[in-house]
Amino acid sequence: MSENPRVGIFQVGFVRGVLGLIVGMLVGMGVVVGVRLLMGLTAWKAEPAWVLGAVFSVFGFVLGTGVLDDWIQWAKGEETPDHPEANPNLKGWAKFLSVSYDHKVIGIQYGFTALVLFTLAGAYALTFRTELISPAIQFLQPGVFNTTISLHGIVMIGAMLLGVGAMSNYLVPLMIGANDMAFPRLNAFAFWINVPAAILLTLTWFLGGFDTGWTGYPPLSARAPLGMQMFFLGVYFIGFSSIFGSLNIIVTIVKMRARGMNYFRMPIFVWTAFATAIIGLTATQFIGLSFQMVMFERLFGMSFFDPIKGGDPILFQHLFWFYSHPAVYVFILTGLGVISELLPVFARKPLYGYRWVALSSFGIALVGFLVWAHHMFTSGMAAYLRVPFMYSTLLVAVPTGVKFFSWVATIWEGKLSFETPMLFVLGAISIFLLGGLSGPPNGVVATDLHLQDTYWIVGHFHATMFGGFVFPFFAAIYYWFPKLTGRMYSERLGKIHFYLMLPAFYLQSLGQMQVGLLGMRRRIADYDPALGLDFTHLLITIAGYLIGISVLVAFYNFWMSARRGEVAVSNPWRSRSPEWQLPSPLPAHNYDQPFEVVGEPYDYGLAGSQFVNMHPGVPQPEMPVGPAPAPAAAD
Amino acid sequence: MPTLPRPQRVLIASSHALFGQGLRSLLQARQKADVEVVGVVSSLSEALSALNRLNPDLVIVDYDDERLNRDEFLARFVESEKKLRVVLLSLHNGEDAIVYDRRTLAASQIDEWLEAWPNAEVNEKTLSDGEETKRIALNPRRNHMKHLIIAGILVVLVTTLLIVGMGQVNLLPVQASAQAVPIDRMFDLEFKVIYFLFALIVVLMVYSIVVFRRKPGDTSDAAHVEGNTSLEVAWTIVPLITVLAFSALGANALAETQRVDPTAMEVNVIGSQWSWRFEYPELGIISTELRLPVNKQALLHLSSTDVIHSFWVPEFRVKQDALPGGDVFNRDLRITPTMIGDYKVRCAELCGLQHAYMESPVIVLSDVDFELWVASQTGESADPVERGEKWYTAYGCNACHTLDGTIKVGPSWKGIYGEEGRMADGSSLTVDDAYLIESIRNPAAKIVEGFPNAMPANIAESMTDRQVQDIIEFIKSLK
Repeated sequence: MSENPRVGIFQVGFVRGVLGLIVGMLVGMGVVVGVRLLMGLTAWKAEPAWVLGAVFSVFGFVLGTGVLDDWIQWAKGEETPDHPEANPNLKGWAKFLSVSYDHKVIGIQYGFTALVLFTLAGAYALTFRTELISPAIQFLQPGVFNTTISLHGIVMIGAMLLGVGAMSNYLVPLMIGANDMAFPRLNAFAFWINVPAAILLTLTWFLGGFDTGWTGYPPLSARAPLGMQMFFLGVYFIGFSSIFGSLNIIVTIVKMRARGMNYFRMPIFVWTAFATAIIGLTATQFIGLSFQMVMFERLFGMSFFDPIKGGDPILFQHLFWFYSHPAVYVFILTGLGVISELLPVFARKPLYGYRWVALSSFGIALVGFLVWAHHMFTSGMAAYLRVPFMYSTLLVAVPTGVKFFSWVATIWEGKLSFETPMLFVLGAISIFLLGGLSGPPNGVVATDLHLQDTYWIVGHFHATMFGGFVFPFFAAIYYWFPKLTGRMYSERLGKIHFYLMLPAFYLQSLGQMQVGLLGMRRRIADYDPALGLDFTHLLITIAGYLIGISVLVAFYNFWMSARRGEVAVSNPWRSRSPEWQLPSPLPAHNYDQPFEVVGEPYDYGLAGSQFVNMHPGVPQPEMPVGPAPAPAAAD
Repeated sequence: MPTLPRPQRVLIASSHALFGQGLRSLLQARQKADVEVVGVVSSLSEALSALNRLNPDLVIVDYDDERLNRDEFLARFVESEKKLRVVLLSLHNGEDAIVYDRRTLAASQIDEWLEAWPNAEVNEKTLSDGEETKRIALNPRRNHMKHLIIAGILVVLVTTLLIVGMGQVNLLPVQASAQAVPIDRMFDLEFKVIYFLFALIVVLMVYSIVVFRRKPGDTSDAAHVEGNTSLEVAWTIVPLITVLAFSALGANALAETQRVDPTAMEVNVIGSQWSWRFEYPELGIISTELRLPVNKQALLHLSSTDVIHSFWVPEFRVKQDALPGGDVFNRDLRITPTMIGDYKVRCAELCGLQHAYMESPVIVLSDVDFELWVASQTGESADPVERGEKWYTAYGCNACHTLDGTIKVGPSWKGIYGEEGRMADGSSLTVDDAYLIESIRNPAAKIVEGFPNAMPANIAESMTDRQVQDIIEFIKSLK
């Protein structure tokens, strides 16, 4: 083994990125100062300076990491070597903190960042939940409270988008037999732009925070402190990641499937990644647009949403929710894909109604574009819109129901085993069920009049997010852990994580739904003791802490097992999926030779059936048979 | 039962060497002297010739082996009227095996049967019955049905428990408006359907977790069931019809909440950061409390002076956002209170710093008491200081300015009249009438040093000059 020269700190992409960020910030501010001086105005005005500085800082960061280098070469008309890896000298920590074009490294970068953001948002949650244990303000002043809940929301959303990116980017090429994504450099860019965006979100603390919740409704957001702009910009650039990442997934799936893999022979996860990417590619623009319009109101005095100047505040809500409702399907569809993917393996039985399940993902995606105004039933929008959106909203239950019934039919009369990934998948189904069933009361306008902006809504979306993303994400990490690391996680710690998290989450959800029905509004730092909800709030907070502890157990498990876990066999789950036919950890280039699909993905129980032939063209060894048959007489 | 004198002869029929060899070792280990495996054959013709040649007492056939046509085999040996038994075993389904004496045993029972078999009588009647040649499903429909029936009963039980149990709990606040009635009816229906659907999925899941566990050491797969198109269609169509029906019922309920009473009393509800003001245009009353007569519809015109707020009394159920922007953005909400009592309206749309505290009393009175209140409101006080104090709360000045020197959001009014004031741009001035008038009508013009520019620009939009002067008199009185 050759000695690798010690990697200097300035070779690490992240470090160079941060330097680029600082330089970009200063340059941007300088531009504003310069222009203002030329215009004869006072040199420094905080808002435009910080905004342009922030924009430049994002580009400075990506430039600094080096993720744009190959494209810059091409723009200059120069060739770049056809290197599969951006900087092959980097190993270990340095590799993961720098630009890599390998979809597996990028997938892990996405996953690790997702867990970091998840932890940060969870810390925000425990902060304000501690305040909410009892009425009156104990330590968290209303202004700080408002910023905390707002950041909790958007950072969790960021964590989910990155988690979806982790799973899609890591798994899709492996599952379809590709050696990387269609556009590896775009893949790297789509990951790295999230980092400065997340830094901007954190910068809000230093610029006055913002008090609107992650939904950022004007006119409140038009008057909020400067931190509001950092929020808008952070989300804007996270949106870039969604759009480019989605494009990459779609092209990869359409163009790079192995021989014999027609659409109805793709692993089901690929279907959900496909549907998710279609949403991400086409809807994300609207949140960027709506935020940009408020930014222009603040910076240039424009009046899209300012009623005094002829604008309409409800217009913002239409634009915002046109993305933000489909966005929730981005959060959960891949998680539901993980459930569909894992159940057959742990039940040893085909995925029931595979084609229906596959198409249901597209059904959900399509209907998901037609329901956004159910977030606006009390907004004062045109009254005639309410009933049609109620119909379309309740319609989503139909393809979702197909998935639930298929899952039950898959495990029915199966042969179930209950390793940690299966536990999380089963838990996910029950939690997602709770969340999903708490949806129709919101979808029916009459009952939504009572529920809107209460803790019932909070309970509804937390349950759907946990069931549709968090539990499946953990299931996926445990399941693919041996493939990623070559080592097995601790089954005991995995079970502790599960048996803490599931009941705690039920307690949290049911508590939230209960207090919401009884009059607890959302986004309030303090609540009226006359409501009599103190005890339930205490229980909700305790549940939150238990969930936090269970997650720490998981982190410890991942950490210790990756370094010292039992070495894993290549296919501990006896899965038919192609990535499990490769050694663990995976080779850098995935498949030595392309595989050929020779059967259906989920034909568990069909003797002699095979999904992929890893070595097409090589004759298969015959199955052993008994003594030679007697000369055929009556056969 | 007579003991047969000689060791029993077993013929194993399977083209999979493992099946044959494994069974052979198993039988020899278990039965020792009583059983002799006389042959292992791998095709139908071999099996039939072995039957004649070797005369076994028991034939064990590999059910999964596609190369052995077991139906034909069974047909042939029934014709031959041999005095023997046939057992059909599958490696893929450990649940059941088929014994050709018209019984189906569970796999565990096969053990007992194998043990008892050398000492058992051969049932001649069974063998001569030609009907037995028809294909016997390894999993008879009975078993499917058994699981579905038990699970179905459990679903009904759990649903009933949930409906009855949750029915004992007050999930909603007391019902205090006419509009709440259709809403609560919808809630009731929704909850029942939720309990049923939750029970359906969770019971089936838990049943599977308990009953369909993999037995330790069993590495075989389950039955290869891919799906069933009719079932898929059914569980698409039935939910579709259900959600359409729900939507129709929901639309009806919504319409009921919007029923118009042309004699409804009009109240303008104005939300500001962070207080509510209630104006009764027909009565000429402005109040910080919403007082309503019971059983009479009130038509609320909601609006805001600044950002989006939302009007909600949980006991009344209905909610509506209050929008800024004047008449075009006025929104109506009809409420018919049905229960005398004290409630609270709390803002239900995040509106900034003090959103949590933006609440006002809502008092539902009998007709008589309401009239008394109206009379007491319209007789105004003669004292401008007293009037000024009324406007201080009515227009929400108290949300940000205290009277006792403590700082809330803006400067306290205690003792400020005639004082020197330092402004944010560095200038200083004396607090006099002109300054106070400007500070009320045009708050952003001069900001006191150390305070935010947070006073809504149009807070005094509907204040008459007399009211502004009243406030100044009130401030003067605060030494």
